[in-house]
Amino acid sequence: MKPGKPVNAEPSAPDADAETPQAWDAMRRPTHRKSEVRLGREVQARIGQQLRALYDEVVKEGVPQHIDDLVRRLSEQEDPTA
Amino acid sequence: MKLDPAIRDQVLSTVPSLRAFAISLCGHVDRADDLVQETLLRALAHIDSFEPGTNMPAWLFTILRNLFRSEYRKRRREVEDAEGRYAETLKSHPEQTGHVEFNEFRVALAKLPSDQREALILVGASGFSYEEAAAICGCAVGTIKSRVNRARTRLADLLAIDSVDDFGPDRATRAVLTGTGRS
Repeated sequence: MKPGKPVNAEPSAPDADAETPQAWDAMRRPTHRKSEVRLGREVQARIGQQLRALYDEVVKEGVPQHIDDLVRRLSEQEDPTA
Repeated sequence: MKLDPAIRDQVLSTVPSLRAFAISLCGHVDRADDLVQETLLRALAHIDSFEPGTNMPAWLFTILRNLFRSEYRKRRREVEDAEGRYAETLKSHPEQTGHVEFNEFRVALAKLPSDQREALILVGASGFSYEEAAAICGCAVGTIKSRVNRARTRLADLLAIDSVDDFGPDRATRAVLTGTGRS
């Protein structure tokens, strides 16, 4: 049990070695890492596939209109907190 | 100061995956959208602390997760109730996905402890590296790896049991079958 480390809401940049893809598409590239789990390859593949399918179902919905409006409105304001 | 349109577009292009992550945390689309909205308000109010050229998705995911966690601590019981209801809702409305196997997966996913589910989604679906996921969750890389491994093992167990159910064995047979399924 390790004590919970307080997390800053504004993290510093992850280290430069980490991938820092600019576009979301690049980030969603399936990443097949070296297998560290002793699970059947088939079972693992199925889990990964279903997980991404479930996630992508939401991703495909894109940006809800009210959120798009909100971001555009706030980004035009002189003071976004106003 | 108006927001740089390039930064604004980076924020907007992260929203779809931010929502998917939020839904996986809260289990409810409406609450997830509130959480996303709150995250964006906070992020835009503190946009000066974002370093252009660094990882926008990781930055926004961290803010969202922290907001969720602080709310979760305040409303722990409510959230647990919500998670239970979420699993029940999925069971009783398979038409939500129109795909039975897919739905089984959702139910299994909902049964995972939240820290394991979160780690698995960040690495397995959002496409973050273990290092990025660790930064988002404020924990060690090894902790993320172990959560992901435990999540995969648990899911494999849950899904294997479900597929044995499909053949309709009685409880004793099932115990034997699932027992022999492991090394």
